[in-house]
Amino acid sequence: MSELDKQTTNGGDLNGDRFFYPEGEALRLQIDRRRRRGLIWRLVFMGALIVAMLSLTALLYNIMNDVFGLTIVINKNDPQRLVLDLWGERMLTAVNTVGSEDDNELVAGIANDMDGLGFFGHAYYAANRDGLRLVTINGRSADVESAEDYPLARPLFLYTSDSALAANQAANIFLNHLLTNVNDEIRAVGYLPAPETAQARARRNWITANPNLGLAAGQWAIINPDGLDGRIALVGSSTVHPLTERMLAVFVADGYAGTFENASVGSSAGIAAFCAGRADFAAASRPIKSGEIEACRRNNRFPVEFQIGVDTLAIVVNGNNDFVGDVDEAQLQALFTAVSWSEVNPAWPNRPIKRFVPGAASGTLDFFAEAIFETRLDQLPKDDLVRLLRENISLGRGRTLERDQRFYETSLVFESPELWNEVCAQPAGERPSGCTGRVRDQDNVYDLLIREVIEPDVVKVYKLVESIFKRREIADEAALLYPNGVLEFRSWLTADFIRDPQSSTPEYAGVRTAILGSLWVILVTILFSFPVGVSAAIYLEEYASDNWLNRVLQTNINNLAGVPSIIYGMLGLAVFVRALEMITSGAIFGLVEADTTANGRTILSAGLTLGLLILPLIIINSQEAIRAVPGSMRQASLALGATRWQTVWYHVLPSALPGILTGTILAVSRAIGETAPLVVVGASTFITFDPSGPFSKFTTLPIQIYQWTSRPQAEFRNIAAAAIVVLLTMLLTLNATAIILRNKYTMKM
Amino acid sequence: MAKPNEIESAAALTKKRRLGESFIQSFLFVCGLLSIFTTIGIVFILFNESFAFFSRTQWETTNKPITADIDAAATVIPVGTRGATLSPGQVIRLRQEAMLIEAVDNDALTLTVVRGYRDTEPMAHAANIVFERANDIDVIDTIRSTKWIPQLGEFGIWPLLLATLMTAVIAMIVAIPLGLAAAIYLSEYASERVRSILKPILEVLAGIPTVVFGYFALTFVTPILRSIFGMDTVEIFNTASAGIVVGILIIPLVSSMSEDALHAVPNSLREAAYAMGATKLETSLKVVVPAALSGIAAAFVIAMSRAIGETMVVAIAAGAGPKNFDLATDSLFGYVLNPFVAAETMTGHIVRISGGDLSYDSIDYNSLFAIGLALFLMTLALNMIARYFVTRYREVYE
Repeated sequence: MSELDKQTTNGGDLNGDRFFYPEGEALRLQIDRRRRRGLIWRLVFMGALIVAMLSLTALLYNIMNDVFGLTIVINKNDPQRLVLDLWGERMLTAVNTVGSEDDNELVAGIANDMDGLGFFGHAYYAANRDGLRLVTINGRSADVESAEDYPLARPLFLYTSDSALAANQAANIFLNHLLTNVNDEIRAVGYLPAPETAQARARRNWITANPNLGLAAGQWAIINPDGLDGRIALVGSSTVHPLTERMLAVFVADGYAGTFENASVGSSAGIAAFCAGRADFAAASRPIKSGEIEACRRNNRFPVEFQIGVDTLAIVVNGNNDFVGDVDEAQLQALFTAVSWSEVNPAWPNRPIKRFVPGAASGTLDFFAEAIFETRLDQLPKDDLVRLLRENISLGRGRTLERDQRFYETSLVFESPELWNEVCAQPAGERPSGCTGRVRDQDNVYDLLIREVIEPDVVKVYKLVESIFKRREIADEAALLYPNGVLEFRSWLTADFIRDPQSSTPEYAGVRTAILGSLWVILVTILFSFPVGVSAAIYLEEYASDNWLNRVLQTNINNLAGVPSIIYGMLGLAVFVRALEMITSGAIFGLVEADTTANGRTILSAGLTLGLLILPLIIINSQEAIRAVPGSMRQASLALGATRWQTVWYHVLPSALPGILTGTILAVSRAIGETAPLVVVGASTFITFDPSGPFSKFTTLPIQIYQWTSRPQAEFRNIAAAAIVVLLTMLLTLNATAIILRNKYTMKM
Repeated sequence: MAKPNEIESAAALTKKRRLGESFIQSFLFVCGLLSIFTTIGIVFILFNESFAFFSRTQWETTNKPITADIDAAATVIPVGTRGATLSPGQVIRLRQEAMLIEAVDNDALTLTVVRGYRDTEPMAHAANIVFERANDIDVIDTIRSTKWIPQLGEFGIWPLLLATLMTAVIAMIVAIPLGLAAAIYLSEYASERVRSILKPILEVLAGIPTVVFGYFALTFVTPILRSIFGMDTVEIFNTASAGIVVGILIIPLVSSMSEDALHAVPNSLREAAYAMGATKLETSLKVVVPAALSGIAAAFVIAMSRAIGETMVVAIAAGAGPKNFDLATDSLFGYVLNPFVAAETMTGHIVRISGGDLSYDSIDYNSLFAIGLALFLMTLALNMIARYFVTRYREVYE
């Protein structure tokens, strides 16, 4: 019983012959109820649309979430290391250069040579000022109060943990004593005080570790170590060592009665010893790395950082050198690579520079190179990149690369000239592509270096939203799971992704082959289905009389539009791929490519299959467009004596064209997105060469997306998402074209 | 330019045959005919290859050897005791020669056979060759069996069909209420301005390639389902996720077809309802929707057909292997009809098998066409039903 019926019967007198409707309050309530119900349902109906909209949003969101995001990359070779080694080697192998691990040797060398130049820790300069003169950089000296702007400054750290301090009261009080007094003593060992903020942070960290003292941030307690007994173990950087040694001496002088051990083993070894629980403090001349933090955590030690000073590298010349005063960074670079002084600055004498630099084993050389030279791999000049490549890959691999594409126009890097000339003497087509063609540029060599030497491996990927909102957690997890991994933000959709062919490694895979394949297939599809479809539509609308044959035609076309696309794939497989193999493989035209095994599984087969698939759509859309042309137009044309075809060609078609084009473009965009029929027809799953014509093997964008989505590794999902963005962009462009075309033609008419 | 005396003659005008015109007309007609050829091609190929499938013989080894050398004429063959049991009426094969078993003597360990059966040449065989037994595929077996294992010669359509129907039904559960509600809103409630904003969104949804929806199902919907119902309950590949996404995929289809049907309802009906004091909701649900019911039904049926034929979403998200089951041992709702278990649909199976290295004239190749035929007939039937509904509402209101 419907609501309306109920109202009348309930309100009416069932036995009598009188009907009455609700009145007054009852009527108002009823109307209210019905209105409320209407409102609720209206919201429900609207909700359905909102759900549809939300799914579209979720779909796009999901794609974007996978296209960008943080990745953990493990490099087989550290790019920074490569560059630093390059500079280190270059500095040490420059003429007139002495490398020594012994700082005294450096000091003596510079002091005894009129043209001496070198660098070492400021402490050594402070201890050996005689016969040496400090060079300032951009007006900043390694000596001045605050070395913050001095380019060759590095922080000095002590690392410990709250638990280590709580466990060893001697260590705790030593740290308090050190933080209190370090600024008074630090100059004596040739270092500079830490910046104010770092000092404040160090004190705050100590207060946090001693909550029982009840100190607020900004306050400080000075604890007298007089009579304190215990044992303090300190291990780490040789740079920090003189400072800690002095601070321990002061500690003892102030009354510490216990023992201590202070070992100079290097920053890394010091941190490792601390994390393993063998020391109370680790001394380091560099910040602790995330991997080291994690190693510590696993031992239940949570390292806390205390910056206790700043070390500067002193650039030093002989005391009698009166021309080098202040240099800029470019000059500094030149000083350690040029032959003579005048090369660096024409005003300086034309005498050779005698250099004394720390050896490759010490961190000082790396520190200098890192601060002064360009250390980003992608910024290095091509020559340097080629050199790195030559040093790090095998000769055989290098030859292969050189044969693909030369490194230099006139010289060879890997090949011997005899062999090269012999190989390149072969006729065109047989000789390698490197003999002619473009020379590799800096970008190209950089890419090679990344692929062949650095070999980054994406070991874990995160979604975009996670990457933005959970950055900290991800950083922690990365440090935990992959201590030597690099966490970096990555866009999977890059210019290279569009330019590069397919690859089995997701990091290097691209969609060029697939895009070209899609374009070829669509070209064939359009060439076939557009003329045929429009012709059929013209026949049905303009010529066909209403007889059974034409009715069957029309019904048949409508039915075909409802056949699942995969069935068309099977039709294509049986007809184009198998039955017409001679034609679709190109054999009949003698066009079979020697190196393909495409048989009938070619672009031509795929294009024709999709052509059949969208034919009904094109016919139906074109029919509608033709039907929309007013009959008066035809009658006018016929009345003027035009034949039927003339009427169609000169009047009906031009008027219907915008509609036909729009319909065709919509049908074509459906074909571009089709996947299933092409899988059945036999799209190749993995080809790396560009399709060269209608008889090539093929892959298309949707096929590629399907392939990549089906892979279990997460990175393939990312490139699938990137490929989806490319595909959707293509479709969007196409649809926008359809709209523009339609508007343009509509205005003309 | 025609000469004046020709124009004067009316007979010359009417009789003039224009070769070009008739040639063009013939060409246009042939283009129209091409669609007929497409249909004929589809039907012929599906039936032809399916026939090849059903008339195909699978040879499976019996492990039963002959125990003595025989010549080309012998009809009584000594056999060993091991291996499968043979019975009269079966067709067996020794190397290339097929034989029909007429009688089995279990005491004497001999078979009486007709030599050179099925157009093969009788030949001499050496001792210890093992028999192969013919396993003919017939339609009845295909319908009766609940396992699709081509390697074992089991070709039961049920696992694939059931998965197809399950995804389609889930899709309809999603698409019908949402699509219909959206259609009612667009047709009866939305102002012209709102329509112009909302309709394109549905069109965009309809224009997205299905492979993208497959990606969506696998990487978005499945993880959500798994987090709601638990990792143990929901498998990575499952029909629920595929079905839901197929449902989303066909919402635009349902809503646009239903909206057309609602739109075709004459305004006089609405006005009459309003005049009787009905609210907008009452008008929509009790007058307009019933009036457009046949068109809406057509939309549902077309949507069902589309859901059954949908390929990429199920190929990616539903599963990569037929869910073979045994009604005697497998729980009906825990496994057979459980939407959270991986199951391969008919379309998914076709795509997976043909995506691999498929050799022609193999049983796999033929079986795909048999599945294709079933698929084609199902969708065709649904399309016919839809057409019937559409003609009905057209007759009423146009």
